[in-house]
Amino acid sequence: MYNQVTKRIFLFCLLGLLLPFHLMAQQISVMAQTDTNSIRIGEQVKLQLTAILTPAQFNDANFKVAFPVLPDSIEHFEVVTRSPLDTVQDGGRHLLHQTFTITSFDSGHWQFPPLRFDVINGAAGDSAFTQPIGIDVNTVAVDTTKAFKPIKAVEAVPWNIMDYWMYIAIGAGIVLLGLGIWLYFSKRKKPMPEEKVPTISPYEVAVHNLKALKDEKVWQQGDIKQYYTRLTDILRTYFEHEFGIAALEQTSEELLANIKPVTKLNQQRDKLRSLLAIADLAKFAKLEPTADEHEACMLKAEEILEWTRPKEEPAEQSPKSENP
Amino acid sequence: MENTSTDIRQLNEKIHQASAFVDLLNMELGKVIVGQRYMVERLLIGLLAQGHVLLEGVPGLAKTLSIKSLSSAINAKFSRIQFTPDLLPADVIGTMIYNQQKNEFVVRRGPIFANFILADEINRAPAKVQSALLEAMQERQITIGDTTFKLDEPFLVLATQNPIEQEGTYTLPEAQVDRFMLKVVIGYPTKEEEKLIIRQNLNPDTNSSIRPVIQPSDILEARKLVREVYMDEKIEKYILDIVFATRHPEDYKLNKLKPLISYGGSPRASINLAWAAKAYAFMKRRGYVIPEDVRNICFDVMRHRVGLTYEAEAENVTSENILSEILNAVEVP
Repeated sequence: MYNQVTKRIFLFCLLGLLLPFHLMAQQISVMAQTDTNSIRIGEQVKLQLTAILTPAQFNDANFKVAFPVLPDSIEHFEVVTRSPLDTVQDGGRHLLHQTFTITSFDSGHWQFPPLRFDVINGAAGDSAFTQPIGIDVNTVAVDTTKAFKPIKAVEAVPWNIMDYWMYIAIGAGIVLLGLGIWLYFSKRKKPMPEEKVPTISPYEVAVHNLKALKDEKVWQQGDIKQYYTRLTDILRTYFEHEFGIAALEQTSEELLANIKPVTKLNQQRDKLRSLLAIADLAKFAKLEPTADEHEACMLKAEEILEWTRPKEEPAEQSPKSENP
Repeated sequence: MENTSTDIRQLNEKIHQASAFVDLLNMELGKVIVGQRYMVERLLIGLLAQGHVLLEGVPGLAKTLSIKSLSSAINAKFSRIQFTPDLLPADVIGTMIYNQQKNEFVVRRGPIFANFILADEINRAPAKVQSALLEAMQERQITIGDTTFKLDEPFLVLATQNPIEQEGTYTLPEAQVDRFMLKVVIGYPTKEEEKLIIRQNLNPDTNSSIRPVIQPSDILEARKLVREVYMDEKIEKYILDIVFATRHPEDYKLNKLKPLISYGGSPRASINLAWAAKAYAFMKRRGYVIPEDVRNICFDVMRHRVGLTYEAEAENVTSENILSEILNAVEVP
């Protein structure tokens, strides 16, 4: 019994002696370095954090080192950028690096605080701290003896053709497209010129129809309404085709109002008015004008046609006439 | 001219003489109504052609004054009914009330028993009141209880609609609107006319009352003559072409109108167009109808009879636009 108690005490003592050595084995070296300790206000400093690991620690899956998480603003310093973690093998050691760009806008001497690295080995954990770094943030020396200088003028950006590549490409594309279209149409066969079919002018049609109406002796056969309907239709069709007045769709009053802009036709206004009045009576009021009135209306229609007859273009001289 | 057409000539002369009262009426109405000749002319067309008039215009355009003056000039009875949402059919046509002394029901006639009715803001009353009035307009008789009463002739209803306030209104259904011979859209008077209106209203000396220049019986005689006004077959065909073009625009090379028209003019449109054209010819002191007459009243007869599609409404196309296209495409005889 006594021996057993003694054995237990011995084992606890041994464990108490060995445990600090085990913890020491977990210790890592950490450090923080800056590329300069003196900056001007707003200048940037590179802060490099390094953790040095032994190969055993590096290869141990349970061994982890957590780098400090720096906020955007830490005391008098601002963190501008942060690099990803980098691993470097240096001899038998493994170095873990992370670089921060920091700056300060407060002038004075400031201490960059110690940063904590967390070391985790399985369930056990420990911390390691870097040394504080003193940084002088200096203001810019102003020479008050010198006069103020004006603001610098806007500097022109040097011209670079690559800035305009898209416009140049679009322009070239349009030129090529135009060229292509021109080539396509110039290579197409030109259609044969159509033979000119002699067209009958509205005047000739109207004269022909009036003559036909006269020859058919419509009113002489007692069809007065038909006579006046055809007579006015011939004139209306002539006005529509010759002067572009939609006469077929207009009433007598509207037609008389709409011929005003056509000076030549407007000069025959009174004749046309009297003709249309008699025609309307014959067509819509069952009134039968006298034979003289029938003739007079035909005469008026012919006179209107003759007055408004378009000037004939000079006929082209045929080669035969030149060489009799 | 030869003597073969003496009938028309005689008719023409008869109408020329008989229609002289139109000038008299215009002169008399001109004493109190400044401008609005168009509206007065349309009222007379409705009166002569036995039609009714739906008037669309903003308030204050002398609608009431016009019909009241017309009724005074004709020595006829006038009633004005203000249509409101709580109006009942009995308020318009009349009802049976119990007489305690006689111990029986007696008929109390409504304001519709008059020659000229102004149905103000007809779209403010519910459908049952509208249909009561429109039935009376169509049948020209009223049944109260077991008794049917013939309405006095001439009987003209002038219904008004305000185009700017549509909230809380009961829009007249197409079938009901079709019962109106004319839908007249009136606008503001000109500057000169309005100046005269101000002067006339401010100066008490110029306030002259309308005196009767004709009697209702003269209107009934004139109606008989309007019926006699000669309408040639060509004019009938022209009327049919216009109405058919609203139904089948593609047959008149108006394919572009096809998707804009939901329904065209009914046969009642053709009848009313013919009647109104005759009345217009009568007012112009002619015994026969010419295409000008048809064209002149075409918009007022047809504008409420051409249904527009959603597409037309989306493109702000009005029935007037469609009718203009049709009139410009249909050949005049």
